[in-house]
Amino acid sequence: MPILEASGIRKQFGGVVALAGADFSLDAGAVHALIGSNGCGKSTLCKIIAGSVAADAGTIRLDGNPVSFSDPQEAAAAGIGVFYQELSLVRPMTVAENIYLGREPRMRTGLLDRDALRSQAENALEQFRSVIGTGVHPDARVADLSADQSQLIEILKVLAANPRIIILDEATAALDRNQVDAVFHRIRALKADGCAIIFITHRMDEVFEIADRVTVMRNGLTVLSQPIGQTSHDEIVAAMVGDVMPPARRERKHVPAQETALEVEQLSAAKLAGVSFKARRGEILGLGGLHGQGQSALLRALFGALPLKAGSIQVDGKRLAPKGPRTVMRRSIAYVSGDRARHGVMAIRPIFENLVISLLSRERRVVVQTERLERETRPFIERLKLKFSSLQATVAELSGGNQQKVVLARWLATHPSVLLLDDPTKGIDIQTKEDLYSTMDELCSQGVCILLHSSDDEELLGISDRVLVFNGGRIVAELTGEQRNRQALYEAAYATAPAAA
Amino acid sequence: MTQARMLALLKRPLSIAILAILVLLAGGELLSPGFASPRQIVTLLTIAALLGVVAAGQNLVILGGREGIDLSVGGIISFAAFLAGNVMQQQDAYLLQAVGTVLLATFCIGLVTGLGVTWLRIPPLVMTLGMLGVVQGGLVLLTRGVPSGRAAPMLSRIVSEPLLLGLPGILFIWILIGVVLTLVLRRTTFGLNVYAIGTNEAAAALAGVPVRLTRTLLFALSGLFAGLTGILLLGYTEYVFIGAGDQYMLPSIIAVVIGGTSLAGGSGGYIGTMAGAIVLILLQSILTTLNIPPFGRQIVFGVTLLGLMLLYGRQRRLRG
Ligand SMILES: Nc1ncnc2c1ncn2[C@@H]1O[C@H](COP(=O)(O)OP(=O)(O)O)[C@@H](O)[C@H]1O
Ligand SMILES: [Mg+2]
Repeated sequence: MPILEASGIRKQFGGVVALAGADFSLDAGAVHALIGSNGCGKSTLCKIIAGSVAADAGTIRLDGNPVSFSDPQEAAAAGIGVFYQELSLVRPMTVAENIYLGREPRMRTGLLDRDALRSQAENALEQFRSVIGTGVHPDARVADLSADQSQLIEILKVLAANPRIIILDEATAALDRNQVDAVFHRIRALKADGCAIIFITHRMDEVFEIADRVTVMRNGLTVLSQPIGQTSHDEIVAAMVGDVMPPARRERKHVPAQETALEVEQLSAAKLAGVSFKARRGEILGLGGLHGQGQSALLRALFGALPLKAGSIQVDGKRLAPKGPRTVMRRSIAYVSGDRARHGVMAIRPIFENLVISLLSRERRVVVQTERLERETRPFIERLKLKFSSLQATVAELSGGNQQKVVLARWLATHPSVLLLDDPTKGIDIQTKEDLYSTMDELCSQGVCILLHSSDDEELLGISDRVLVFNGGRIVAELTGEQRNRQALYEAAYATAPAAA
Repeated sequence: MTQARMLALLKRPLSIAILAILVLLAGGELLSPGFASPRQIVTLLTIAALLGVVAAGQNLVILGGREGIDLSVGGIISFAAFLAGNVMQQQDAYLLQAVGTVLLATFCIGLVTGLGVTWLRIPPLVMTLGMLGVVQGGLVLLTRGVPSGRAAPMLSRIVSEPLLLGLPGILFIWILIGVVLTLVLRRTTFGLNVYAIGTNEAAAALAGVPVRLTRTLLFALSGLFAGLTGILLLGYTEYVFIGAGDQYMLPSIIAVVIGGTSLAGGSGGYIGTMAGAIVLILLQSILTTLNIPPFGRQIVFGVTLLGLMLLYGRQRRLRG
């Protein structure tokens, strides 16, 4: 009898169907891998099992008995421990306080026993001592740790509760090979003790190394579940992709020119391991792959927002040293982030200021000539169909889509020749997307070179002239012509990442 | 009054400040007849101008965000008054030289503060507190605790004697600063950059705003305005006092907050701060009339600041 069994789980967020009747069954003493593309519902399924999200329908059985947890504490009491993809650490608190949050050792008086807390944490850290790097000790603040160190601490936090069912949601995403080995070592020991583990990863090699069984999800459904010995890499990818339909390709009015606009050679930075490519004028060059494989890092590095370690960049045949956004923008390069709130708008300031800020920096003028600036930005406002009540209204009053248009118009007003788009359509409505696509098309016909990173695979495949697939900080495939389909994209994206340099 | 209209009023700190000015004037007149006489008002405005000029710098630093605050202004004012008094030595001929020296020196002090905040990433609270210690200590070292230096006669005249329409020169200086600063904030690239970094530093940097340069300049300007205040204060007191500027630190911050500039940065302006300075001076004067001792005034100021923070905090929630 399975220790945990979920059947017919449904969950909808507003109009988005996250789970459409997913089934999942977990055996004691086994590692069960869960795999599927971004947004297919893995995390939601885990959160429902862990009681932090309520299902719309479906049943969950624990040891054969139906349960329904109304909060994570109940699930924890039943022996379920969860590593949350977004981490559950309290950043201002120390490593020791985080690991034992809610179960701190107490003295007889009921007061916190600091010494015991510290020595327990010291013991817990011991198992990762050789791989966790420097600066991690019980009193270190979590805020000062790097991403991989934080992940290891989150793992320790989960294990500190001695759960019998352990859910690891992309727990190895930021870890290097040695760290993964240390985690696997621990997982094997837990398995031997009879624990059941749900292991979510995007790395196929990890699945084959640690899992006893694999379940593939697609569009909120569990579409394949097999013992690991009875399946193959190809079968798993095929299940993730589903029926291969050619992506709806947008009609492009313009054919890219032959001239090279941007040439990048052996670019290295944090998360980038020697990237080389050429992009032409009038071309939309897509950057795809799993989340965080170097697509964003590349765009930020090109724009001078991420320090380079090595490599060379040529724009229109001339060398570019990206010291910072200000030096880069002077070479007619623009960058638009999809993270509007953090990296786009100045929300409480008027639309006008948000529109002209980059043009002002570019022109290096002292005085703000309101009328002239309005005249110069108006064509782009109209082109993007920006809807607003007054240029003096704050950006915060606009919808997300219109905010994104403000950021794009800000940069179009500087007449860029290379446009770096970092997931620009994240979380915006279809109509706005259409407006952005048609604007991109028009820019291409004016000879602008566009680098587009998109987390929406359909969009990426549908509007790019070529797609570079990123994996582990490298370009592992270039998809052109008919190759621009999901199958080819996933094959490359889920392939074992080449060892980082 | 309907709740909506009251809220609309709450949203305009400038109108509250002006209302407060009128209420305080009327209240003062009731408590002690003659409080709101033209002569008395001119005196109060003169004192408000001194506060208003320091608050200009404080205002800029706060607008720039990232917990921007300048705790060193008091020390810089004292230092500036001392330096000015010793360079001009009661001679009009040395006045310009003294002004130039002091403004250069205080601008440089602010510059160092700004560089510490931007390049060494020291939090403004810590950096300016440190700078306050350095300046105060340096002053003790220079004076050995014995004050020296006096104002040039012309300086005293500018500050206290009527120049035009019965108003002293210092008020015209203040108005000029008000006009120029407001234009700078609203009509120059630098001004827009200040609001941008105060609102969202990461986005501003990605939009091409020179974040560090702008923020460094804000602290330098705060030093400069504190320096100017020191010179004007010397004109007002005529003699150099040790620690003459110490009393300005907290009020300069409160004036900015009363004027509707958000302590979080990115919104507000100098006109409000000018009104805020007047409100505070009126309040102080009424408390003096009521024979409230200085520590009592400090308490009232502190409570005013906390009350305003509560009020504006609530307002932000209502808006959000
Ligand atoms: N709290 C939420 N609010 C709205 N939509 C959500 C929420 N959580 C997840 N979703 C949506 O549900 C879908 C599944 O998300 P998730 O379970 O996180 O996928 P995965 O972990 O497989 O990448 C996605 O389309 C996601 O955008
Ligand atoms: Mg997920």
